[in-house]
Amino acid sequence: MMNKKIFLGFLLVAFNVFSQEKGVFSGGFETNAQWYLNDPDFLDEFYNPVSHPENPLRSNSYLLLNYKIKNWSFGIQGESYLQDALLNYNPKYEKVNVGTYFAQYKNEKIDVTAGYFYEQFGSGLLLRTWEDRALGINNSLRGIRFIYKPTNYFTLKTLYGQQRTGFDVSKGKIFGADFELGLSDVLKIENSDLTIGFNTVGRYEKTDIANPNFDNLTMTYGGRVNYSHNSFYVSSEFDYKSKDAVVQVRNQIDNNLIKSGNALLFNMGYSKKGFGVDGTFRRLENMSFYSERLAKGNQYNDMILNYVPSLTKQHHYNLANIYVYQAQPNVIINDASLVKAGEIGGQIDLFYNFKKGSKIGGKYGTKVAVNYSQYHGLAGTFYIYSPQDYSTEFLSFGKKYFSDANLEITKKWDEKWQTVFTYINQYYNKKFVEEIYGEIKTNIIGVEAIYKFNPTHSVRTQAEHMWANSDKKNWAALLAEFNFGTKYTFYVSDLYNYGNDDSRLRNHYFLFGNSFRYKSTRLSLSYGRQRGGLVCVGGVCRYVKESTGFSFSINTSF
Amino acid sequence: MKNLMTILICLFGFFLNAQTQMPNVSLNDLEGKKISITNDFNEKDKIYVFSFWATWCTPCINELDEMNDVLEDWKKELNLEVIAIATDDSRTQKRIKPLVNGKGWEYKILLDSNQDLKRALSIVNIPYTVVVKNGVIVHIQNGYVPGSESELYQKLKSL
Repeated sequence: MMNKKIFLGFLLVAFNVFSQEKGVFSGGFETNAQWYLNDPDFLDEFYNPVSHPENPLRSNSYLLLNYKIKNWSFGIQGESYLQDALLNYNPKYEKVNVGTYFAQYKNEKIDVTAGYFYEQFGSGLLLRTWEDRALGINNSLRGIRFIYKPTNYFTLKTLYGQQRTGFDVSKGKIFGADFELGLSDVLKIENSDLTIGFNTVGRYEKTDIANPNFDNLTMTYGGRVNYSHNSFYVSSEFDYKSKDAVVQVRNQIDNNLIKSGNALLFNMGYSKKGFGVDGTFRRLENMSFYSERLAKGNQYNDMILNYVPSLTKQHHYNLANIYVYQAQPNVIINDASLVKAGEIGGQIDLFYNFKKGSKIGGKYGTKVAVNYSQYHGLAGTFYIYSPQDYSTEFLSFGKKYFSDANLEITKKWDEKWQTVFTYINQYYNKKFVEEIYGEIKTNIIGVEAIYKFNPTHSVRTQAEHMWANSDKKNWAALLAEFNFGTKYTFYVSDLYNYGNDDSRLRNHYFLFGNSFRYKSTRLSLSYGRQRGGLVCVGGVCRYVKESTGFSFSINTSF
Repeated sequence: MKNLMTILICLFGFFLNAQTQMPNVSLNDLEGKKISITNDFNEKDKIYVFSFWATWCTPCINELDEMNDVLEDWKKELNLEVIAIATDDSRTQKRIKPLVNGKGWEYKILLDSNQDLKRALSIVNIPYTVVVKNGVIVHIQNGYVPGSESELYQKLKSL
């Protein structure tokens, strides 16, 4: 509260000081509301009919206001969760409150921010703070950040803060520094670009455990290099996390399993006009990192400090998002049949454009995208009984966790028609990825067609089928989207789990909705059923339960 | 707390009519060079079209594909530049370069890796297009459906 008063005072002083100058206000507003209903015909996996929660009418709203004058910027974000936060969001988000605020001074060389800020070092494997409202993530740091950029090719960032959790901040204190140097500019190398960077992030969290075998302070270090020459590019990053107690089971610090962690990321590619190929390799070992040790593994991604996305293709087909891989940075050695210490794997992408006028290209060209990814656990030696321990081998592949091979062909036939054909083959080791049981192989075919009736009226249809050999088995899905002019869209879709072995669970997941857009404003209203399972955005997922109801959302910026 | 919100909303009212500018944010291009959104796109009377997209966003890619086909014609009529701001985070960022080249796009590509620019403009959904002329945001297009590009062109011609 004190902080907020100081901030408000600061804001008012700023208005007075600069009152001769004309400042600029900007901001945005977003609300997502749900009216949950009972749906007696819709059973969840335990055969319970879907029923609405205690407060069936819920909304998450955000009002962001920024004020900028000369080199100064001030911002504040108010948030409301009424009557409660939407289902499956962190219940720490409650009622109306100020979520974040900041004051920033920025010129060509210096950038100082006090208050809440978002930052990422390198690829984010050690530190990334960001906001994703769809996932309920806002892990910004509250503290101070100083960025110094004396020349165009040298940047130094230092920061200190505590991490946002609900409307409070973490007990763990975070500090870090990152510097990046454009070596090719320093050495005046032409036609090539070479950049190096180093960073360190520390977390200080005083532990309650008696006689801890680990330090209150956990340190991490990372180094990275980027090189590109003409059409070729390569980059790599290595990160190390100092020894710390492992948290295997929720809410249980393991004082006898004290391990360090590390990550290696390597990427290279070649691309020229009409052709691109890219390959990524990544190995993770014990790399989960939270601002409080016990936050590890919480379902809301609360107090997550680093960003460990699954490096797989993010599909836009509904059925391809049922068995979604999640990166496996964690250690579990409680059960001999399920031991994990990390992951190893990678992916390859290929893009090719058959030129206009060529045999396959036709009049408008044909675009092809191929992607393959595969991930395994780390191979090594695991000791299940006291004392628990493990050792891993650097470049050897353990149990297979996931693979995805897919092909996408986009073809524009004439001014009116465009089609996209997709084939996806997935392997999903549910036992290891979700720590439950099961192993699923799928084949998915998706066909999408866009037809333009006239310059502003069009229809988009998407048909999908998934053959799965176990779990919920086969699915079919249809989607139709009608665009009446550029401002109004109506859509209807259904996912049907017709192949489920249990006839009571052969659910339809239908959805009707429409949206209206004008300038920076978007309004949408829909009615339908939400499929239970993982909802993922950008490689971070949260678990959602089945629900039925109306959704309303509005967002605008000014 | 409610008082604070009330004051802020009132203050906001005073400034509602202020002209909006692009935030002063620097982003890397595909070669790793830092580009300033305000200082590097400030040629007098030139129209700058900032199109926010991501490699996983199909309507975004459709929009950029369609615009790429007509960009040459647009440039004959108007002094304009299209800047495609990739909001991909480190999950999909490495896919940007091969995709852009694979598709043969002619745009200047900037990387908004931790969504600093997207956040500063309060963008919720992509695709999202911001048109800037003489340092002021003159038009916003939210979303993309087939045909949006011709409507955008009509708008650009009227600026």
